[in-house]
Amino acid sequence: MTNGIDVEHVNGIDVVTLRGEHDLSTATDVSRRIDSALETASGLAIDLSETTFIDSAVLRVLITAQERANERGAGFAIAVADTSGHGVHRLLTLTGLDSKLSTCPSRAGAIAAASAG
Amino acid sequence: MGAVSERVEIEIAAAAPGVPLVRHALRGLLSGLEVDDDVIADIALAVTEACTNAVVHAYRDSSGTISVTASHADGALTVIVRDHGTGMAPRVDTPGLGVGLPVIAAIAQSVEIGSPRGGGTEVRMRFALAGDAE
Repeated sequence: MTNGIDVEHVNGIDVVTLRGEHDLSTATDVSRRIDSALETASGLAIDLSETTFIDSAVLRVLITAQERANERGAGFAIAVADTSGHGVHRLLTLTGLDSKLSTCPSRAGAIAAASAG
Repeated sequence: MGAVSERVEIEIAAAAPGVPLVRHALRGLLSGLEVDDDVIADIALAVTEACTNAVVHAYRDSSGTISVTASHADGALTVIVRDHGTGMAPRVDTPGLGVGLPVIAAIAQSVEIGSPRGGGTEVRMRFALAGDAE
């Protein structure tokens, strides 16, 4: 799968989709795209359903994004699906952050949750 | 038939673009060893965290290299991530969460962190290649 970061406007919120692998080498770009979305969007969904790998540098970006969304009163949710890579699930579980991040098991669920936020 | 032993050595610049290169090289080694995909994914995660720690902490404002050696024998993979920098000093502006070492420790059978002769930091990790291995 080709690595990439896509940003779309869906149901009045921004959806940032991370495809493929993301780590320290892409964390700054991921952060920039999320920050840009959070400047104007009423809600933000981050879709990891096509993400095969993330490391703690990207996890930090996700946590910061949730904190910023909460501060702004914007809706926020992360889609972590069955199709997300083993490493994505594993990192969230090992760090205990699966219970602290607002996650949904599907892209549609995350979009709905962030829109309602 | 005797035990199969394979070895990969890679040296990267201590910079973020090198991190995925190490991960891909390791996957290349493991893909020929009939190792479960989830085990490969775990090892990839742990080694990525070790390399990220080296990139973030070893050289700070100077440049340097990171060497990674992976050797396979007797159902286990040993990976050594070595830098020649100033050591893993705390860094308040770290781009990570400070969870790298706990993640490595949770995945690896064993992890040793040392200061080798000549300076720098060496992280030596041993991974079971069978899912049910101790």
